[in-house]
Amino acid sequence: MPKKYHIHPKATPLELDYFFKFKIVRGENCINCGKCTKVCIYQAHKRSEADPRIMADPNTVVCKNCFRCIQECPRGALEKSLDKVYLNTGGAYWKPDMLLTLYKQSEDGNVPVSGAGYRGPFTGTGFDSMWTDMSEIVRPTRDGIHGREYISTSIDLGRRLNHLVFGAEGQLISKVPDTVEISLPIMFDTPAEKLSSSIKLAMVKAAAELNTFVIIPVADITAEFEKHSDNIIPRMTASEIDTHKEIIKKARIVSVDCDNSVLNGLADLKDKIKKIGNALCIIRVPAVKDVEYTVNKLAHDGAEIIHVVADYRGQEINSPAGSGSRHLKDIIRSVHLRLVEDKLRDEVIIMASGGIALAEHVTKAMLCGADLTAIDLPLMVGLGGRIYEEQKQILVLPEGLSKLPNSVITQRMVNLMAAWHSQILEMMGAMGIREARRLRGESGRAIFFEEIDRDTFGKLFLK
Amino acid sequence: MKPSTVNIKLAPSRFKHQVPKYKVTRSDACINCGTCAKTCPYGVHERVEGHNKIKPPINYKCIGFECQSKDFYCVAKCPQKALSLSLNPMYATLGDFRWTADMITGTWIMAETGAPPERKDLEYNVGNSGGGFDKLRFKFPAHPKKVNKSEISTEIPLNRRNDGRANVVISTPVYGGGMSFGSVSLPTMTGKAHNATNWNTFTCTGEGGFPDNLLPYNDHVITQVATGLFGVREETIQRVKIVEFKYAQGAKPGLGGHLLGEKNTESVAKMREAVKGTSLFSPFPFHSVYSIEDHKKHIDWIKEINPHALVSVKVSTPNDVDMVAVGSYYAGAHIIHIDGGYGGTGAAPDIAKKNIAMPIEYAITKVHNFLKDEGVREGITLIASGGIRSAHDLVKAICLGADGAVIGTAEMVSLECVRCGNCESGRGCARGIASTDSELADLFNEAWATQRLTNMYNAWNLQLVDLLQKFGMKSVRELVGRTDLLTHIDYSSQETESDHNG
Ligand code: SF4
Ligand code: SF4
Ligand code: SF4
Ligand code: SF4
Repeated sequence: MPKKYHIHPKATPLELDYFFKFKIVRGENCINCGKCTKVCIYQAHKRSEADPRIMADPNTVVCKNCFRCIQECPRGALEKSLDKVYLNTGGAYWKPDMLLTLYKQSEDGNVPVSGAGYRGPFTGTGFDSMWTDMSEIVRPTRDGIHGREYISTSIDLGRRLNHLVFGAEGQLISKVPDTVEISLPIMFDTPAEKLSSSIKLAMVKAAAELNTFVIIPVADITAEFEKHSDNIIPRMTASEIDTHKEIIKKARIVSVDCDNSVLNGLADLKDKIKKIGNALCIIRVPAVKDVEYTVNKLAHDGAEIIHVVADYRGQEINSPAGSGSRHLKDIIRSVHLRLVEDKLRDEVIIMASGGIALAEHVTKAMLCGADLTAIDLPLMVGLGGRIYEEQKQILVLPEGLSKLPNSVITQRMVNLMAAWHSQILEMMGAMGIREARRLRGESGRAIFFEEIDRDTFGKLFLK
Repeated sequence: MKPSTVNIKLAPSRFKHQVPKYKVTRSDACINCGTCAKTCPYGVHERVEGHNKIKPPINYKCIGFECQSKDFYCVAKCPQKALSLSLNPMYATLGDFRWTADMITGTWIMAETGAPPERKDLEYNVGNSGGGFDKLRFKFPAHPKKVNKSEISTEIPLNRRNDGRANVVISTPVYGGGMSFGSVSLPTMTGKAHNATNWNTFTCTGEGGFPDNLLPYNDHVITQVATGLFGVREETIQRVKIVEFKYAQGAKPGLGGHLLGEKNTESVAKMREAVKGTSLFSPFPFHSVYSIEDHKKHIDWIKEINPHALVSVKVSTPNDVDMVAVGSYYAGAHIIHIDGGYGGTGAAPDIAKKNIAMPIEYAITKVHNFLKDEGVREGITLIASGGIRSAHDLVKAICLGADGAVIGTAEMVSLECVRCGNCESGRGCARGIASTDSELADLFNEAWATQRLTNMYNAWNLQLVDLLQKFGMKSVRELVGRTDLLTHIDYSSQETESDHNG
């Protein structure tokens, strides 16, 4: 049995304000009777420190929406509404509730647990249009995060052989390629926005602690990153390779953007990298229309790891919304199926990114056919970043961030991954799957809305 | 048709103010003439004798935009044009996609009055989830058989095995779901049991043991045996008519029960034979059940301990729920209770509530059809839960193939739950429904809880009878599996009549 993998979360509040959901306003007809102080078990209502005869403004950040003060104030003096900032942050994909939960998970590292049933829509787009299966009775034991059974989230990176070839004497003739094992099916990617070097450094440290990698544009890799090169994947274009030989030499994995030269000369590219060092090579492919054909060609030509990158909402790149633009879920499914059809699936690693916003998206992307995922924005949200889908600048980081100690930023990233790891275990445990390696393409363990709705209601009602 | 033990009485809200849907705003132009106070028959405006300033409007009493056509409409009557009427922004903080603010408000009215709301401005029958029940509508025959409401039966039998055990019949095809002592307060639990007795139906202990306060209601309590086996003893199995095996819960399938430490108070710990203050996690699954054969051993064990009881098997809704159901039939279960993924819970990881296992709407269809194909549908009672929010959901579930339903959240909402979702943490529910905190669990008593629940069950039963009459049916038994009486917004052709204001 592999060594147990543990992440160590630590409560790490940020001394910066984030937005909140409910706003409470005390009207002028308040008679300062103090009833609200008594009934709010979350201490939103307190007397003014300066003048205890009157009430202070409600501390609405702590409000949990129980309605008691509203309903019990003798004067009906309190009003509650959805906060304006809440309503104006995020968008259709990055819903404000999602940002709030990521922020909270980065603070405490816990699985979000709540009472009462699910409150969202029946189904939605992208990953929201699928459920995951579970095993009712018949299956090996599992106790998820609370118990004895070990569930592994490790995966291997690198080209795999379809079969082994042995010589006449039984000696292994096939050259078994190098692989790298990471403990989480998640890598960090650097968002397109400008980040301070302290954030990047924190990403690297968190990746090291988690035993995974962070992909950083090669030009940003300054001397201070040097001692962390084990967990850094330098990202470059094919033409930049020659200028960054030193960095490539130290790297365990490099990432090269796919362009025509790569597409038509993959063997040469791999040779070139092999001559510099021992690094595995990721080919980074934008998820444009027909990306599955590109992926297939690369896999056929010997690519080890292919990174399929959708936009930040998981949509196809360069295809306007509404033009049949696919979501990452469907892109990955068809990439996977194409490779299966051509018997190439087992030889190559597929990493999916773009629109991976919640822990459930990791598991779901893997069920759809990815071996692993990469994330960028969720880490930033955990640092108090806000996402605005309607604006030019999608990500806005809080101002005081760079002044915070690097350890705080690192810990928040570790916390978020601790929470995600536990949530992935919950889902895997329910499915009765104990190895993340086995999640890939297990679509039998997924329930797709389009399919089940058609099979159930379509059959009954389509005339 | 209600049993004689049901008495409907007004059971008003515990709180001074209701959550308002509308907002009446009075501007500075007001000259305090008092016209509005005189004209509004609902008491929105109040001017106390001797005060020269009129009081701020009491929003929750306002009937909203339908008032515009009334001759007493204050906005039109105000000589200063000082009044305006709008939707209250507060209303947006109540409810969610599944349980809309209208649905919560409608359920509150039912629990208060015992009848569906008379107000026309509440869509309380369907939610806003955009799928499942919320996309199904009824198709009423143009010329239904004429039946008198007094002839209509809403009874269902729970034992269809003919195995010599009692045929337990319930008077309305709904019963209360398992909520453990610890997850809910004692008045909630006994109120549920008292109501079940009034309505000649059932409630379930959940997995927290059988408090003595439930003893007077033994004949209407189901003892749950769950993976944690908390508080399960031979006598708690022997004293009831139905024993339920809980394999899984829809809201958190594949995970055992959670009771966080702070809610494990002295009395809770005693009942569960556990240590106070520790978090209690039930394991998953039953570590003695790895096959249908093991499952049968469990059922035989219960039947042995209590030779009269019916056995219910509660499972969640994975892809192979149909196989599990048939397996349960062959293992000797009387009731197969399937609990869909969108059901309620006292505490569950959000990721599980949203994602794991399928919604109940699909599972009912799947299980009903598979039991039929296997030729055993007539031998077992199929109960659905996990997302049955309204009388319309209940009827839709029966049309899809269930015999009846179990409800949980609807009961909580009747007790004025606002679905804030904080039941699991700290001292538990701020509104005293799902809490064992000494102060909070005292916010209402059993009598009030019982009346609220009895009223809500009555409102559902009235709606059920009304729908059966529109279908021209004398018994709810005739409705089972009648998918031809439903249409689906996405699939059915448009010209079919739809009506969802029963
Ligand atoms: S309960 Fe109402 S009147 Fe009393 S202090 Fe609070 S807001 Fe003011
Ligand atoms: S609604 Fe509840 S939690 Fe929010 S301030 Fe009022 S009493 Fe406190
Ligand atoms: S009728 Fe108009 S002016 Fe008169 S008291 Fe009412 S709001 Fe004020
Ligand atoms: S805590 Fe909120 S959701 Fe839970 S029972 Fe109480 S009111 Fe309902």
